[in-house]
This record gives sequence, structure tokens and C-alpha cells, in this order.
Amino acid sequence: MEYTKPMHEDAFRAGRALGLDHLKLGVWLFIGSEVMFFGGLIAAFLFYKVNNPTPESALLDVGLVGINTFVLLASSLTVVSALAAVGRGDVASMNLYLIATIVLGVAFLSGQAYEFVSLFRHGLTLSSSVFGSSFFTLTGFHGLHVLVGVAWALSTFFRGMRGNYTRDEHIGVEVFGLYWHFVDIVWIVLFTVIYLI
Amino acid sequence: MKERSILLVIFAALILTAGGYLAATQLHLMPFQASTRAVEVDRLFQLLLGITAVIFLLVEGALVYAALRFRRKPGDDTDAVPVHGNNALEILWTLIPAAIVVFVGIYSVQVLQDIERPQENTLVVEVIGRQFTWEFHYPEDNVTTSELHLPVGRPVLFQITAEDVIHSFWVPEFRAKRDATPGQMAELRITPSQPGRFPIRCAELCGPGHAGMISEVVVEDQAAYDAWLAAAKTGPSDPVEIFTQFGCAACHTLAAAGSNGQVGPPLDGLAATAANRVPGLSAEEYVRQSILEPGAHVVQPFANGLMPADFGQRLTDEQLDALIEFLLAN
Amino acid sequence: MKSLVSRLRQPAPAWLRYFGWNTDHKVIGVQYLVTTFFFFLVGGALAMVVRTELLQPGVDVVNGTQYNRVMTNHGSLMIFLWVIPVLAGFGNYFVPLMIGARDMAFPRMNALSFWLIPPGGLLMIASFFAGAAEAGWTAYVPLSIRTPDGQTLWALGVIVLGTSSILGAVNFLTTIVTMRAPGMTLWRLPLFVWGIIATSLLVLSATPVLTAGLIMVALDRLVGTQFFAVAGGGDPVLWQNLFWFYSHPAVYIMILPGMGIISEVFPVFSRKPIFGYRMIALSSLAIAVLGLTVWAHHMFTSGMDPRLRIPYMVSSMVIAVPTGVKIFSWLATIWNGKLRFTTPMLFAMGFISQFLIGGLTGIFLAAIPVDLHVHDTYFVVAHLHFVLFGGSVSAIYAGLYYWYPKITGRMYDERLGQAHFWMNFIGMSLTYLPMFLAGLQGMPRRVADYDPNFLVPNQLASFGGFLLGISVLPFLYNAFVSLRSGKEAGGNPWRALTLEWQTSSPPPQHNFEQEPVITHGPYDYGEGHLAPHPAGAPAAGE
Repeated sequence: MEYTKPMHEDAFRAGRALGLDHLKLGVWLFIGSEVMFFGGLIAAFLFYKVNNPTPESALLDVGLVGINTFVLLASSLTVVSALAAVGRGDVASMNLYLIATIVLGVAFLSGQAYEFVSLFRHGLTLSSSVFGSSFFTLTGFHGLHVLVGVAWALSTFFRGMRGNYTRDEHIGVEVFGLYWHFVDIVWIVLFTVIYLI
Repeated sequence: MKERSILLVIFAALILTAGGYLAATQLHLMPFQASTRAVEVDRLFQLLLGITAVIFLLVEGALVYAALRFRRKPGDDTDAVPVHGNNALEILWTLIPAAIVVFVGIYSVQVLQDIERPQENTLVVEVIGRQFTWEFHYPEDNVTTSELHLPVGRPVLFQITAEDVIHSFWVPEFRAKRDATPGQMAELRITPSQPGRFPIRCAELCGPGHAGMISEVVVEDQAAYDAWLAAAKTGPSDPVEIFTQFGCAACHTLAAAGSNGQVGPPLDGLAATAANRVPGLSAEEYVRQSILEPGAHVVQPFANGLMPADFGQRLTDEQLDALIEFLLAN
Repeated sequence: MKSLVSRLRQPAPAWLRYFGWNTDHKVIGVQYLVTTFFFFLVGGALAMVVRTELLQPGVDVVNGTQYNRVMTNHGSLMIFLWVIPVLAGFGNYFVPLMIGARDMAFPRMNALSFWLIPPGGLLMIASFFAGAAEAGWTAYVPLSIRTPDGQTLWALGVIVLGTSSILGAVNFLTTIVTMRAPGMTLWRLPLFVWGIIATSLLVLSATPVLTAGLIMVALDRLVGTQFFAVAGGGDPVLWQNLFWFYSHPAVYIMILPGMGIISEVFPVFSRKPIFGYRMIALSSLAIAVLGLTVWAHHMFTSGMDPRLRIPYMVSSMVIAVPTGVKIFSWLATIWNGKLRFTTPMLFAMGFISQFLIGGLTGIFLAAIPVDLHVHDTYFVVAHLHFVLFGGSVSAIYAGLYYWYPKITGRMYDERLGQAHFWMNFIGMSLTYLPMFLAGLQGMPRRVADYDPNFLVPNQLASFGGFLLGISVLPFLYNAFVSLRSGKEAGGNPWRALTLEWQTSSPPPQHNFEQEPVITHGPYDYGEGHLAPHPAGAPAAGE
């Protein structure tokens, strides 16, 4: 074995040379496992949708949820804009876009809460039927992921306010963006599976 | 290695594997063959045993040979001659197992299709598993029993389900097993080929009494089967038979019925204990209520909810009276 | 030597770092190894209870309920708290060393992965005080919905342990992709690292699905959802699909890193390059990919669509091919070598001979007509123990002995190690071989009582089991006593070529004094890469 180079203190940066930051790769891998988690819940939902068709699915209000879907899609756009802003070095705009993202995320969660409450009023609950169980579990866990995303956006926002991000150093914003887009894409799949087909 | 020793090794390996194959295919590891299905399954089993015995002997033989032959000489600290691989050899030992797998797979599919092919003149028996007994229903004759009787030589279609948790209906001598899943009806086909009495075992963990969930299948000639069927239509009247057939014996110890179940309280000397258990209830009333509503008086340390609560529907009034009289007398 | 001296000069409570939050992958690795070995002993004690109960027919030591609790927790502890995490422990200690990195990519998440394990284990053990889980480690519904509260704690425990495993897998893959030293190309990675890659991919794909299933079980129990309630339209077979989608790959999660350890041991003690390096590496990936497609072979007796059974049978049998490639390659590695029978080498050879039995009997289980007889019998119990004990645990022992000098800086006692191996090997064969016969003859698994016909195989299994239990004692004694009295190991007592041996034992805080640069493969023995044996230094393992 040859030992030629001295050990660098910033040996962790070695990965950057490959064009792959370790934080970004880690988040991608974690998202991969999240895909399988939702895959399991979606499989259960579809399994019961096919094997036990139920009239309760008529209770769902596609119109309201369609608006909510639009809200979430819009939030992906604001995240893209935030990332573009910090890429230009425009941290102030980035912060504004992050606030917009948080507002849109909270709006989505409020819409979901409203939907849940009205379904409860019609008698659809976690324990009312397999449809209720699989519907609330699936959408509920997605809602939890949005909640985590909102918290993450808040923390990114505060870091932005403290000036932690610059044009060249904003990996934190990038990985937050990855997660947020992932949660959005999951919702598009859920919207299709639960409300459209 | 010298050429002669290579030949010697190859010769020894051939003897070993041929001998191993012959020995393995002659081994009797399976129980009695009581169905036509058992004969076919065992033929596949013996073939697999032969193939795997050859592979086993070759690999273990090579391992032992290498351990003896390639031991390092004391004091020799040098490395061995480096060999990184050999493409031809590697392709060979990928392709040969692949070919064996294809062969075994095709043969298994054939056997599977044979043993599951629907037959003419099939006797349908519904099998219901519940903690911790089996119940059999003959829809043709509208008979329900806890003992399975089958005429020898007639194909049987079992329709298997369960009422509480998953059980698995297994008769080792038939080489046949199928899970009894609540809410589902599973099918299993066999043709009993030999008369005899064989155990039915539950193969899927179903709770504390799983090990004792054993019943019996009686394979007999048509005349004996018809006679049994005629008697079974009236249902059992003998209290020991009631005690066994309705599953009491699986969970309760009672010397007079020859049972030693451990899941529920022992019933020896019940007359004395039952009389004083609950003030205001006579022994007879206490036992009757305990059979019909198992949750009414739960005896520590036994768990509530294990005993079926449907004996009121399953027992006739006469059977219930006979059972209570029997329990109080022993 | 220098680092050894400086280590001795450190203030006394240096060992305290093993008991707290620490982000050094080597400390975390030791934490994993020691903690999981403790759970191995607990699981082993439960196995002793099982074998005592089965010493004779009848209900003598524990009743049906207690038996189910003991048996369930034996399986769960051994799988979720011993084999899976102990291999992650090896990964933690050795992956960064083997690829020439300073630490794992996410040191704090690494510490978190470890610190999720004690709470997961405590949840599982605590369930004994709330009516422990008693539905088997498979926790089939609806039985697992009706059992006492301990089952909920069990489910939460498994979710916590699964999360630990997922975080670990993210960390391993990121570390291996981004933190290799200069010259450490993919085809120069040691095969243990390849095993960790394949396992991590499986963990990321399969474990989250088990988590989803366990959440459904827990919700059914806690808030009355209807997922598995038959009366409400729920389907018990859905759980079996979700469970086995994880739990069959789990077998490969438990064996692939073990196969990696074996691939490290053979070349070193044969003084020969590994035979067919790329095929061994690729076969790990092949097993991982195929392993995700075979889960329903555990369900041939349940109510699956009969037509679907054939593809699952075929894919299950095809796994025999890459597995065979590995076994033949190991045999070719030792062929014409200069074999030295140290304890790790003995365990590696024991691995081949025992795992082979597990693999070959797997073909019987994949052949549906035979499976419909042997499924859920002692045949399966024997098969899975030959794979997981004869396979995984043999490999783990091989790894513990092989790397003991690296981790502690001291040699273990070779005679005690060999005694341990033979007790373990004989105990294993005596315990599990008779079980094949009992299963074929008609003994179902998971029973507290059995027909007197099965007395002989059960007594043999019990005596073998007790011998296995005792065999841990020489290992424990050896591991403790050699810490102080073992010979000093030096950096590279086995004269191995992989990178973890090119630094002091134990390695310094940052693993290497200088960044290593790799110029050849990990197993290039006989090619003149190794400095001649230093004069006067004792050859280890004599």
C-alpha cells in the first residue's frame, strides 16, 4: 500500500468531485425508501378498492380536493423559484418564496382537515369500513409528510434569514426542494388512485 | 497433481455420487402413503433427494478433500499460485445448476397439475377450523361431525375455511395441506387409496391450543362409510363423544373423557367446585351458563375470550343436558 | 505501535465513550456488536426454554400461551435484534476502513441508527410484562389482532428497529458511493462491501413495506381500523403479502453481508486471490434483485391465485444459481491454496458445509407439490436454521474472530476458538438435522406438545441445542480474557491485503495517518504486493 497524500481535514469533500454531494445522495436514497412505504399503503388501498368496491367512495368531493391539489402543485412552483433565486444569489426573494411555500402547505393541510371533518360528519371514519381505514391511513400519512415539509421549510427559512445560504452554498435548500417535490408527486399519485379512477 | 491422482479423485467422486444418488433415492423419509397424491409427491421428493444428495456429496467432498490436501506446510509463509478465475469453468457452473433448475421446475409443474386435476364423482367435504377443533360438513348428506370419514378410492374435494383465526388443514399421510383462512374458501383435492386412521394436524399457529388441535381421518370401505354416515346423521348422544367431538377435550382436562387439554380449567371434580363458585347458582346452573356464555364466569388464571360462545347453536338441547349431567357426575 | 502507546496514555475513562452518544464509526460499530450479542444471549436463553419444553411430549415446563410467547420472541429477537443489526455493526466498523474513508458519510445519523436499537429491544422485551407477543415472528393476522397488548409493543419495536436499519442503509450506500479513497474503484471494493451494498438496497426497498404493514396491524389493534377484520371486509392474506415482501428479502439481508465476510476470510487463509471476484460481486446483486420477486413462495398453502404460484416457484429456484456460483467460487479459492486453519477459517468452511444444507433443502420448499406437505413443519424450522444459524451465525463468528485483533489490538486464544467451533458445529448438526425427519414425518412447527412418535428427533435436537447454548461460554471467556492477556496483534497479524489491515490495531481516530491510495485489488495474493513477513514477528494463529 502506498501512502502519498496527507489526510485532508475536509476529506468529506472528496465526493463533490464526482458531482454527487453526499447529503443529496442520502436524501435521494431516503426518498427511495419512502416510495416503497407509500407503495405498501397504496397497494393495500388498491387491493381493497378492487376486491371490496364500496359506495362510500361516492362521499369524496373531487372538486374540493382538486383545488387542494392545485394548491400543492403551486407550492412546488414556489420551491423551484426559491431555489432559482438563491442560485442567482437573491436570498431575499428566496425567503419570500419559502414563505409562500409555507402558506400554500398550510392551506393544503387546512383543506385536508376540512375534507376529513366533512367525511366524519357523513359517517366515514378510520373504523367505519376497510375503505375508511385505507383512505384515512393513506391520506393521513401523506398529510404528515406535508406537515414535516412545512416544518422543514420553516427551518430553511430561518437559516435563510440568518444568511446561511449563498449563491454557491445552498445545498440545504436543494435537499429541502427534493423532499417537497417528492411529497407533491406522491399526492399526484394519490389523487389519481383515490379520486380519479 | 499427478495425472494418476487426478484420475483417482475423479473415480472416487463418481463412486461417491453414484452411491449417494442410489442411497438417497432408496431412503424412506416420508410417512405412509395413504393417497394417490402421496405417491406422486414422493416420486418428486425422491428425485429431489437424489439430485441434492449428489450436489451435497460433491461440495462437501471437495471441501474435505481441500482441507486435507491443501494444508499449508509448517514454516511456509509464501503465497499460493495466484488464479483469479476461469471463464469456462464459471460459465459451466452457472449453466449446469440452471439446467437442473429448469428440469426440476418443469417436473414440479407436471406433478402439481396431476395432483390438482378435478376428478369425476368427487365427494365434497367442507372443513371448518376454529380454536382448537376441526368440524366437517358433508353437504351431500347434510351431516356435520368432528371426525372425518372418507370412503377409500373416491376422490375428495375439501372446501376449507376458518371462523376465528388462520388454521391449516394437514394430513401428513395424504401429503396435503391447505390453510383455513377466515372469510375465504380454499380447495384441496386428494383421493384416499389406503384404509386406515390418520391424524389431522393444524399446521398454522392458531393460539395457545395449537399443538392439541388434532383430529383423525378414518378411511374405510364404502359399506363401513355408509354405516358411519347413517349413524352420524343423528349426531352423537354419548356424552364422551359429545365432549370430544365438540372440542371440549382439546382445552379441558377430564379423566373420564381421557383428555388432558391445558388451555381451559380442568373439569375433574366439577360438581364440588361448581356448587360453591357463585352464590345463588346451583352447580347445574353454573355449568350450563359457563357453556352457553363462556365469558360469564372466568376462572383465574385462564384467559377470557378463548372458548367459543356458540355452543347454544351447535348443541341440541338433549346433547347439552347429557353433557351437563356427565360433567357433574365425574 | 505508536498509536497503541498513545492509546494507553489516554485518561482512564476512555471506555466510557462506548456507553454514550459518540459519532466515531468504530465506537458505534463496537456498540452494535456488543449490544446485539447481548440480545443474541437473550434469544438463546429463550431457545433453551423451547428445547427444554420439547425434551419430552406433554406440557411440562411452560403452557401453550407461555410457549407461544417464548417462541415468538426467540424468533423476533434473533432476527431483528441479532442477525440484522450485528451485520450492520460489522458494516459500521469496517466499511469506512475498507474503502479508505475517515468515517461514515452521516456520523450523527449513524449514532442515531444505533441508539434506536436499545429502545426497540426494550419495547420487545417489555412486552413480556404486558402479555408478550404470541403470534410468531410472522404475526399472522387475525391472530395477531386478538392477542394481548404486548403485541402492540412488539409491532412498535419492529417499526423502530426497521427505521434504524433504513437509516443505516442510506448511510452505507452514501458512504460507499461518495467517500472511497483515490484508486478505490468499484471493482476494487472488498466483497464484504459489495455484500453491504446489496443488503442496503434490499433494506431500502423492502423494510418500508413491512413498516406500512405493521402500521396497519397497530392501527387495527389501537384505533379499530378494519384492515384485517374479516367481518368488515378485511383480508388476512394482504398481511401475508406485505409481511413476506419484506421478510423473504430479510433472509438475504441476513446472509449477503455474511457471504461477504466469508469472501474476506477465504483468500487470506488460503494465500490466494478470490476466485471469480466479479461473479461473486454480481451474484450478490443478482440475489438481491431476485430476492424481491419470490416472497409468495411462503404462501403456496394460503389462498393465492393458483396460476400465480408457478412464476414464484421458478423465481425461487433460480436463486439457487447465483448462490451456487458463490459456493463453487469459494471452493475454487481454497483449491490449491496454502490453507491455514485458524478459527475464522474453520467457521468459514463450516459456513459452506451448513449453508449448503440450508440452500439445498430450499429447493424442496420451492417445489410446490413437496412444499404443500412440508410447509409449516419442522422441515422448515430445520431449513431456516441451517440458513440463518449455519449460514449467518457461522459467518458472524468468522467475522468476530477474524476482526477481533483489529478491533481490540489483541489476539484471541486460538485453542479456545477451535473448541468453540467444534462445539458449535456438532451442536448445530445435532440440533437441526433430526428436525428435517420430524417435519417430513408429520410434526408441525410452533407446537408446545407433540406426538410420542417424534420423541427421538426432539431429544436429539434438545441435547444439540443445549450443546449450542454451552458453546457460547468458551467464546465469551475468550473475548473477555484476551482483551487483557491476548498477544499484541500489531497492524496486520493475518498479513491481509484489504485496507482495514493497513493501519494500526485498533485504528487511530481518523483511521489512517495518511490518505491511502489504492493501486491493486483487495485479494491480489501471490502478486508481490505484500511486504515480506517482518523478521522476528510471530506468525499469528500458530
